[in-house]
Amino acid sequence: MKKTVDVSIPLGPVHPCWKEPVRLKCETAGERVLRTEVELGYMKKGIERIMRGRPWQEVMFLAERVCGICSVVHNMVFIETMEEISEIAVPPRAAYLRVIVNELDRIASHILANFSYCYTIEHETLAMYLLNTRETVLDNLERLTGSRINTAYMIPGGVRFDLLPEDAAAMLADLAKVEDEMRRYTGIFETGPLIALRSKGIGVMSREEAIRSHTVGPTARASGVEDSDLRLRHPTYRELGFTQITRTEGDNFARVMVRFQEVFQSIDLIRKCVDNLPDGPIRGGGLCKAGSTSYAGEAPRGELTYTITTDDYGRVVDIAIRTPSIMNIEACAHSMIRDAASIADVTSTFISSDPCIACNER
Amino acid sequence: MSILQDIKNAVRSRSIHVSYVDVGSCNGCDIEVLACLAPRYDIEQYGIYVHNNPREADVLLVIGSVTPQWVDKLRDIWEKIPDPKVAVAIGNCPISGCVYARRGTLTTPPVENYIPIAAQVPGCPPRPTEILSAILSVAPLIYKDYEEKQQ
Repeated sequence: MKKTVDVSIPLGPVHPCWKEPVRLKCETAGERVLRTEVELGYMKKGIERIMRGRPWQEVMFLAERVCGICSVVHNMVFIETMEEISEIAVPPRAAYLRVIVNELDRIASHILANFSYCYTIEHETLAMYLLNTRETVLDNLERLTGSRINTAYMIPGGVRFDLLPEDAAAMLADLAKVEDEMRRYTGIFETGPLIALRSKGIGVMSREEAIRSHTVGPTARASGVEDSDLRLRHPTYRELGFTQITRTEGDNFARVMVRFQEVFQSIDLIRKCVDNLPDGPIRGGGLCKAGSTSYAGEAPRGELTYTITTDDYGRVVDIAIRTPSIMNIEACAHSMIRDAASIADVTSTFISSDPCIACNER
Repeated sequence: MSILQDIKNAVRSRSIHVSYVDVGSCNGCDIEVLACLAPRYDIEQYGIYVHNNPREADVLLVIGSVTPQWVDKLRDIWEKIPDPKVAVAIGNCPISGCVYARRGTLTTPPVENYIPIAAQVPGCPPRPTEILSAILSVAPLIYKDYEEKQQ
């Protein structure tokens, strides 16, 4: 970036607001922040290089360690890509169970993102409420899959564990509690006058900018980009009658509210899945074959694409992962943080776009 | 043992400031450290404050296998922390590299090669309770009678 102003303030890589290391370089004039630039590269582990030449049984576990927050969806998209290459059909019960686990993960991820935002704008009470609710969601994830974070629940042709009726009842009871609590917290966020001062009209990204910079996920939906949720194209979600949530403001408030609303939508989807859970096997079996394809799914942060080439023995010859955060972070730096009133707005705007650096750099 | 040392011991046992640094993990351990803040585990009732500021930290939680960018920066951060200080490795990554210690990787684990590690919490990722108990058991060992041991 060409230096045109008086002071340059670096934020990070170790910063109280960041969960992960990233550096924002701010060009300032007095208190105002004119422009920002993102410096990445602190988390580059070369996971795609490790994946190449390994059998899918190993790559499956590597795929979910691309990102710890949304590990389930990395697992799901990788497995569905392998299924598409090998033409493996999934039993209907397994397809529904996948949606349940994926939506539980999405709820946990969205609550964590909103926790970070509330923590950044120094509303610590609401942040702690949200973090406590997230623990209830993770309990359900653990009860069903056996693990809190890296679950490795899905395998080609099905899932690992069945949902027992008593577990389903406990999950529905917990979800009712989560929904109740989240309604209260959404009310606190929506009506808080000081939250509105820190959030409304700050970090605005227009619909045209969102489309031009290819933003995805809740960041795009908050700016009013229609048809930007890939769950609309997923067969199981279509069966469940999924509709997309869109807001038009495009500011920090809208981005956080979209995530709040999607939590309720996910809870409804899980309820629908549990109520209409088909009987039958949870593992269909199948053989991974040679082929090459590109497949996309909706991660909590947006569109996640896996491009995989395999050989006859089920080994991954070539793999390329496109994660959602890379577009969102760049759009955040160039479109949202422009002429911000202070450094405090820069951190809150950056966190509101839900950056996931581990996903981003791999 | 002097009275001053007794007072310091008593105060330090209920005031542990924690900073965490992610040197290249999948951030699964990061969010488990964050989960310790939740009222369910309530890290602050033990007198532990997560500030993420190395200059006022007592305990440094190191997460992740070391990526090239962090090789020199990790040492810098370690030097910025005032004495007495202690580093705890969270997760498998700083201990062995976990899944990243394979052919073709860009990381150079373990973290022990760069800074002294006092305790290790294995797991991928470890539970918040394990992280909490590791901090609580290692911090008093380092801080108890620190000034008298120095003499």
